[in-house]
Amino acid sequence: MAVDQTNLSYEHPLYATMDKMPGITVATTTVDMLLTWGLKNSLWTFAMATSCCGIEFMHANGNRTDLDQMGSVPRPSPRHADVMVMAGTITVKMAPRILRLWEQMPEPKWCIAMGSCAISGDFYRDMYSVVPGIDTMIPVDVYIPGCPPNGDDLMAGLKRLQEKVEAQRAGRWVEPEGRPETAKAILPALGRVIDRDGTQTERQLRACQSMGLDGNEHRQSDLVAKSAGLLSNLLKLKGR
Amino acid sequence: MDPIFQPFRDDPHYPLDRYEAAADLMLLNMGPQHPSTHGVFRLKLVLDGEIIVKAVPYMGYLHRGVEKMVEGLTFAQMTPIFNKHDYVSPMTNEQAYAVAVETALGIEVPRRARYIRTILAEIQRIASHLLWLSTFTLDMGGVIGGGAAMMMYNFREREDIFDLFEAVTGSRFHYNTHCIGGQRHDLPEGWVQRVRAFLDRQERAFDEYLRLIRNDIFDLRTKGVGVMSADLALGLGITGPNLRASGVDFDMRRDAPFHAYDEVEVRVAVAQGCDAYARYEVRMAEMRESVRILRLLLDQLPEGPICGSKPVKMANAVRVPDGRGYTAIEGPRGEIGTWLIGGGEDKGAKPFRLKIRPPSLHAMAAMSYLLPGHTVSDVVVVLGSLDPIMGEVDR
Amino acid sequence: MDATLREALAARFPAVDLDQDVLLVPAADHYPLAALLKEQGYTLYVTVAASHHPGPEGDAFEVATVLRRPVRGAPSVAWRVVLGADPHLQSLYPLFPGADLQEREQLDLVGVRFDGHPNPVRLMLSEDWVGHPLRKDYAPNMPHAPWR
Repeated sequence: MAVDQTNLSYEHPLYATMDKMPGITVATTTVDMLLTWGLKNSLWTFAMATSCCGIEFMHANGNRTDLDQMGSVPRPSPRHADVMVMAGTITVKMAPRILRLWEQMPEPKWCIAMGSCAISGDFYRDMYSVVPGIDTMIPVDVYIPGCPPNGDDLMAGLKRLQEKVEAQRAGRWVEPEGRPETAKAILPALGRVIDRDGTQTERQLRACQSMGLDGNEHRQSDLVAKSAGLLSNLLKLKGR
Repeated sequence: MDPIFQPFRDDPHYPLDRYEAAADLMLLNMGPQHPSTHGVFRLKLVLDGEIIVKAVPYMGYLHRGVEKMVEGLTFAQMTPIFNKHDYVSPMTNEQAYAVAVETALGIEVPRRARYIRTILAEIQRIASHLLWLSTFTLDMGGVIGGGAAMMMYNFREREDIFDLFEAVTGSRFHYNTHCIGGQRHDLPEGWVQRVRAFLDRQERAFDEYLRLIRNDIFDLRTKGVGVMSADLALGLGITGPNLRASGVDFDMRRDAPFHAYDEVEVRVAVAQGCDAYARYEVRMAEMRESVRILRLLLDQLPEGPICGSKPVKMANAVRVPDGRGYTAIEGPRGEIGTWLIGGGEDKGAKPFRLKIRPPSLHAMAAMSYLLPGHTVSDVVVVLGSLDPIMGEVDR
Repeated sequence: MDATLREALAARFPAVDLDQDVLLVPAADHYPLAALLKEQGYTLYVTVAASHHPGPEGDAFEVATVLRRPVRGAPSVAWRVVLGADPHLQSLYPLFPGADLQEREQLDLVGVRFDGHPNPVRLMLSEDWVGHPLRKDYAPNMPHAPWR
């Protein structure tokens, strides 16, 4: 991999590990690190945009806060995407469709709850047709509060998600984010999914760590070894 | 167009079994999650090959129960709810609500506040039409097909507009700047100059837009597509640019002036084409007209109070007595109306029934009339040219 | 309301008090009034709004309709019909195709049936929904398993 080291504007861990030889612009790195770097910096988003936040999501992908610079490209199809950005109010009529679209996304996949409607239902949460938050259906990795959150907030959220992805790839346990506290925190009518089971986090970790070039067989056997440490963490989580 | 589709264009409930018996019909669901349906909207298409025989719209995927919710809120609490119906033009939605309550109570709004409302409404109209232009071209070209270029240009100006609104209201998006009897925020210092500079930029930008989209492909995809006669448009209750593109010279800004529109001359843009291209023409002309109106308004912006010539001392003290009435203003998508029955809970502090008249829901009704006989690729053109916002359709 | 329309209305519907802002019309006159207004140039179908008025004598319903003339001055006519416990009213779909979705919405949310409507099914809520949310006896925070 040819890298011109003089023009690097920031110090990425990937470059830190490269062999720096004077006069030669060839750096060597491990395939694993390269994959982590690629996965983390190409989190394609699937905008599950139902309402107002969808417009602000368009703005975030527009020219001022260009999310492309973080490698995050909006995709219209769930099958192309790594991250579902739930932007907007979820209604009872739409909820089964959202769940289905989430299931159609390939592993590993993450979910961002963008805006207060997706986090808790906002002031619509008590209405007969509104689902009080995406986390009653799908485990959420990053919560971005705001009504709607602007591009900077979305960028900060993506950055948090990138850190999480990197840590998961390295096999480290990442504490799940909690629903942001509001001034008048009202508990959702339904329990949050992440409280009931940690299977999604487990699936993420599995898919995330075994996406190397080893093939499926290795992936299966690798799982057993790697999930031992993971399971203890999960038990810890469930006990809480 | 083949006359075989004419009965389906005349009556969307025309039985499907009267279509050619030998036809191999296919059912295609478009939505509720589709990048070109402008939100969560589902269209059931019955296709013969690539030609649409019948189109059935389904909505309600964003039904948030707003009309039920406002029955439990006081009049002061409702403004932030109203700007979330039509999230592309929150400003005019707030105004529709404020005007409704003010008309019911006979509150007079100070002249400066009326001017500020008009200025904000016209800037919002530009912002709304810009978003329409970007999504319309995005639908036709796609991100990969070069449609995103137009979006980038439009969003450059939209960010400017958001900055202007943020300077006034403190929020980019959901403003909550109207209160009953006037405005909550006065214009900050230097804002008028900023708007003038923006208008100059915007005027130059129009020519850029034209250079980007005026080509044969655009003409071929829009001319003669989605022809809606004036009679059909009126019967469906279509208002705003969609109605004016069908050749009806009617604009509430000129014909039933609200805010300060009686003090400026509004030149209404009308096109006779009735098709998607005519709707494009009308909206482009309206944006230029808004720039002209805004310059006039900024020139004659009066000084004075911005709230309460007949003061409403406490916002929670607003009570609408038993009675009913319909008020409407012209938004970027057409007539935003409210049917208000007063005398609800707490001796009228809450409304008994408040029905919002969404222009987009009426526009969606046109889909099943316009689509039969067109190809699948025209669906996004017809839908995009009608400029619906699902938050407003479903409420 | 201009003089010619007033004359026409007074001749056709002598029982209606034309001085009100919102005319109170008997249910039988609902469709003929709309037809007459359409002849008189009120061709823009503006809106229909139904509401539920519970009272000591039982439920009452009100259906208000607004039509407009698309000319200078934007004159509009609004009228309402008061209905009893089993609300049903003639549909305006034959006159105004826009009544299709609007009346379906009112059927869905308030539960007023429109006779002669070509497709009287729910619009906003799913078809298996129970109850009409905008009725006063419907709790706003009605649970709906398994989603809320």
